[in-house]
This record gives sequence, structure tokens and C-alpha cells, in this order.
Amino acid sequence: MRSPMRLLGLLAATTAFRWTLAIAGGFTAMSLLLFAFIYWQTAERERGRIDGIVLSEARRIAEAPGPAAGAALESWLAEDPHGRHYGALFGPGGAQLAGNVQAPPAGLPADGLAHRVVIGPIDRDHDGDGPEVVRGVARRLGDGRLLVLGYDLDELDQAQDVIVRALGLGVAPAVVLSLAGGTVLAWRGQRRIAAVHEAIGRIMQGQLRERLPMRGGADELDKVAAAVNGMLDRIEQLVEEIRGVGDSMAHDLRTPLTRVRTRLERSRDEALTREEFQAAADRAIASVDQALAVVSAVLRIGEIEHGQRRAAFAPVDLGGLLRDAAELYEPVAEEKGVRLHLHIAASSAVPGDRDLLLEAVGNLLDNAVKFTPAGTDVTLSLHGGPDGACIRVADNGPGILPSERERVLQRFYRTEKSRTVEGSGLGLSLVAAVASLHGFRLRIGGSAAGCVVEIACCPAVVPNPAQADQQPARV
Amino acid sequence: MTRLLLIEDDAVTAEEVAGYFRGRGYQVSCAATGTEGLAEAGAGRADVLVVDRLLPGMDGLAVIEALRHAGIRTPALVLSALDGVDERVRGLRAGGDDYLGKPFALAELEARIEALLRRPADGPETLLRVGPLELDLVARTARRGSRVLDLLPREFRLLEYMMRRAGQTVTRAMLFEDVWNYRFTPRSNLVDVHMGRLRRKLDAPHEVELLCTVRGISFVLDAPP
Repeated sequence: MRSPMRLLGLLAATTAFRWTLAIAGGFTAMSLLLFAFIYWQTAERERGRIDGIVLSEARRIAEAPGPAAGAALESWLAEDPHGRHYGALFGPGGAQLAGNVQAPPAGLPADGLAHRVVIGPIDRDHDGDGPEVVRGVARRLGDGRLLVLGYDLDELDQAQDVIVRALGLGVAPAVVLSLAGGTVLAWRGQRRIAAVHEAIGRIMQGQLRERLPMRGGADELDKVAAAVNGMLDRIEQLVEEIRGVGDSMAHDLRTPLTRVRTRLERSRDEALTREEFQAAADRAIASVDQALAVVSAVLRIGEIEHGQRRAAFAPVDLGGLLRDAAELYEPVAEEKGVRLHLHIAASSAVPGDRDLLLEAVGNLLDNAVKFTPAGTDVTLSLHGGPDGACIRVADNGPGILPSERERVLQRFYRTEKSRTVEGSGLGLSLVAAVASLHGFRLRIGGSAAGCVVEIACCPAVVPNPAQADQQPARV
Repeated sequence: MTRLLLIEDDAVTAEEVAGYFRGRGYQVSCAATGTEGLAEAGAGRADVLVVDRLLPGMDGLAVIEALRHAGIRTPALVLSALDGVDERVRGLRAGGDDYLGKPFALAELEARIEALLRRPADGPETLLRVGPLELDLVARTARRGSRVLDLLPREFRLLEYMMRRAGQTVTRAMLFEDVWNYRFTPRSNLVDVHMGRLRRKLDAPHEVELLCTVRGISFVLDAPP
């Protein structure tokens, strides 16, 4: 069990948590800016209002004739329920003549304009004696007296209080909420990642059947998990195949090698003449050649699957290729009593490796001739199609069951029907490897009345009327 | 006596190959490293070279390149366990005259070495004659005595190839590489079927056989003595 501090540390290290933190920080900064703006605007308006009051009052009092100024000042001070008005008249020497401010404030110029100033001490019964911060104005009257008026800034302070409180009420819960949300998100993410991590650990220990956990949603983690699981399916399949290939290869080599061994052993004991020895050696060599052919074929498929030969691709005329293949295999078909037909409906050129394509088509023809009964037909044809040219080999053999069509492409796989016929089970694997190297699609179809194998050469057909011909006759 | 220099590091293979060729009248010398082989071949003491591709110290292809660079044109056959198409091309580009992948049949190696020793086979003549056989390369006609042979284009090329190498053993793989120009190993009897067809046209039932199969893997065309 992890300690809470460690868990917190882990969460704090997650992307979700860091983003939440960043967003909360940004939100707070934005709120502070907004509130500062509101405060600044409110203060500005309030100050303007107070300045208006003080200045107009000062003007009214100053304009009152002689002794009436004192009365006007007293009446303004009296009509003040909240105790915000301050004012005094001072003689030219600075002596207080009227009002509640005892001394002329230092730093307040007698220019008739509003300033922020500290006045005091204050002489008033309902308020303390301390100096007050006010918006104040001072002006000289015509007779040399100095009029000082002040208006308390309490209201501004109150506005500030309200704003700061609102800021606290708004921002603090938002920050707390987002941090909590971030923690939950990070924790949940962390939990899923931990599950994925454990699954990967098990896969790395060799449990290839293990899959990454998914929640069945369509979120990013599920998408990645789905892709990785797809990859694991393929890897598992490949590993199974390799395992199968290793077993099959060992088995396929053991059969001819066992024959070699028994033959040599028997001939050592029983052969009496040079001719008998030679015959035994020839049979042993034939068996070894069979074993070597299996090894060569496996290596060759490996070489093709490795994909290096793609570098040597050049345009291959499919019509010419099929004509060559038919020419090469026609005598073999004839020897077996099978009719080989060639149809070239539309010729086209595709980028590819001519030798490999010929070998692939040759393997298909070889299979077709091998499995089709004497007196029937094998047809090699080239069609133009919506998805490119298509090479088709059709025979009258027993066909391949739909359930076996995937598996016949695996190395060493042999159908029930083909086990009695000589072969290595590698021919179609090679065709599949060549098709895959070229990016072509290999399709196996047909019915019990014959097998149809198609190689769909995806690059588009280049129509060539000069070469588009029908050749129903034998080559 | 033909002098064959075998540059091969595997002692067992070297011994078997050397023994086989000594039994066929060759004078065989062996070198186990590239440097040793280069010194031997450079001294001009060989008529034909068989060079393994992978050798300790100096690579087989480097040996051939060094020889060719020094102006020594002794025909060389490259032996290699690396039997990719690229490897073959690389071997020939380095100055090798032929390339044979391991494992190989000794008879195949022998046929190829004989072919190398008899080079060049493709002369400028336009009329080929072997015993009663006559091949007109310009008119594209073939005759055995007075009988005109009706040959398909590929059969004509096969016969031309065999007539140019009359008396010489030619293997299936050589025919497939040189007449068809394909670089893959076809089903074993594919070439045999084509040769069988040619033979039926060449040798009528009552006639002397001109085209013979040798030990099941190669062919030879020869005039009767």
C-alpha cells in the first residue's frame, strides 16, 4: 500500500493534475484582474462624486458674504448624519474660527482643488479625535480667512471591502473545486494507467493472451488501448505462426532425413555391389535435396517478407508476364493431359519484381495443374477491374474449403485433400509473401468444382488497346 | 591438366570438392584464407578459381576484385551460403563469372566450371552444325539431316544454347538462368519437360540420340562419333 504522501506526489506528477493547477492559476489571475478593474472603476466614480460635493460646497460657502460663511459651514457640518463632513475656517494667522478641524492640514495647498489629505485632530463629540483620511479642499476667502472642507473616504473603503469579499467568495471555491476535480481526474487516470501498466507487465513476461483494459467508451485512452490490442492480436498470431513454422519445419525435415538414415544404414549392411551402393546413395541424395528444398523455400519466403527487394521494383507488363508463365507451364500441363488456356482481356504495367511475380504465378499454375484431373482445364487470365488489374488462375480441381482459405497461406499448412500429393505446403505461402511485398491482394475463391485464386494488382489499369487481345487458343 | 584453385575455409567442404575434381583429372590446390588465395591466384598458378564468399580475413569478393584490379582475368566462380538475388548480383559485379549458392551438387559445380573454361560460347557465326544437326540463326530454321524441325521460339533458343555448348554438360539451373533468364529455382522437372519436348522433335524413334540426360540433373548434346 502506498503512503498518502507518495500517492499525492504521484498524482501531482500527472498531466491531468498539472493542467488543473495551471487552469486554476490562470482563472485566479483573470479574476484578480477583473476585480481590480471593477475596484478601480468604482473608486474613480466615488472619488469624482465626493470631489463634486466638496468643491461645490466650498464654492457655496466661499461665495457667502462675510460672516455668513461661518454659518454656512456650520450648517453643512450639521446636516451630516453619517459624520463624514469635516470643515473649518481659519484666521490668517492659522487660528480656528469655526468648524471641527482644529488645525489647518499640512500639505493641502489653498488652490481650490480636491486632494487626498490627512486632516486632524478633529474636534467632534460623536467621533474619535484621530486624524482622518479625506478628500479635502482649501481656498482663501476674500478677507484672508482659509476655508478647509473634507469628506470622509469611508464609503470608498467599504466598496473596497465588498469587492475583496466578493473576490474571496468567487475565486477561493473555484480554485478549491478545480484542484479537487484535478485530483479526482488525476487519480482516475492514474488508476487506469496503473491497470494498463500491469497488463503490459504481464505481456512482457510472455503472457501474449493478455490485453489492455478498456472501459468500452470512445475516449483517448480507450482508442490507444484498442489500437495496442489490435497490434497484440497480430503479434500473437505471428508468434503462433512462427511457433507452428518451427514445429512444421522440424517435422518436414525429419521425414526425409529419417529416410536418408535408414537407406544409408540398410545399404551399408546389405549392398553387395557398387551399383547397389550407388542406387542407395542416389536415393539418399534425393531425400537430402528434398530437405534442402524445404530450407531454401523457407529462407526465400523470409527474404521476400523482409521486403528488401522492393528497392528493385520496375514496371512489369502483366500481359507479357502471363504469356511467359503460360509458355513455361504449358508443357507440364500437356504432360498431365490438362488443357491450359490464357486470356488477356486488358494489359497493364505495375511496379514490381518480375522474377518474383513470375514465380508466384508459376506456383499458382503448378498447383492448378497438380490438383486438376486429367482431361480438364486450367485457365490463366488477366482482367481489368475497378481496383486494378487482376490475375486469375482457375482450375477444375477439388477446390479449397472456405474454412481453410486463410490457413493455406500459412507456411507448411496442407489441406486434407492435398496431403496425398507431393508438395511442401510452402507454395501458397510464397505467393502470399510476393503479393504482400507488392501490396497486392490475394483472394482464394471457387467451389467444389474448382479453385479460383486471384491476385488483385491494386495500381490502376493502364488501358492499352494495342495489347488488349483475346487468346482463347492454347499458347 | 587443368589447374583449379579452391579458396574455401571449411576444411570438410574443401576436401570433398578437391577430392571430386582430382578424381576428374584436375590439379587442385586449396587455400583456406582470402590472403593466401589471393597470393596463389596472383602468381598465375590457376586456370579457374572457386572462391567462397565468406572467408576469414579477406572476403571472397574482395579477393576477386583485387585480382581483377591487378589485371588477372582467371575465370572465377563464387560459392556462397548467401543465396539472395542481391548476393548473386553483387558477386557478378565484383568480377565473378558465375555464382552458385550453397548447398550445391558437385555435378552442378563441375558443369559450371567446364562452362567457364570453355568460354566464350556465343560467337558471331550464323550457322551452327553439330553432327547431322544444322541451325540457321538468320533464317530461323533447324534441320536434322534432310528433316526440317518445327520448333517453337523457346525450343529454338534451347537448341541454339545446347549446340553452342556441344559435348558440354549443361545443368537445369544453367538452362533456366541462361535461356529463360529467370533467377529462381523452379519445380525440379519443369526444365526436363521442356527438354523432353525438344528431344522428341530432335531424335526420332529410329535415330541416334543426340540430346542425352546425364545423371538425372543435366543434359548434353553431342554428335555421334
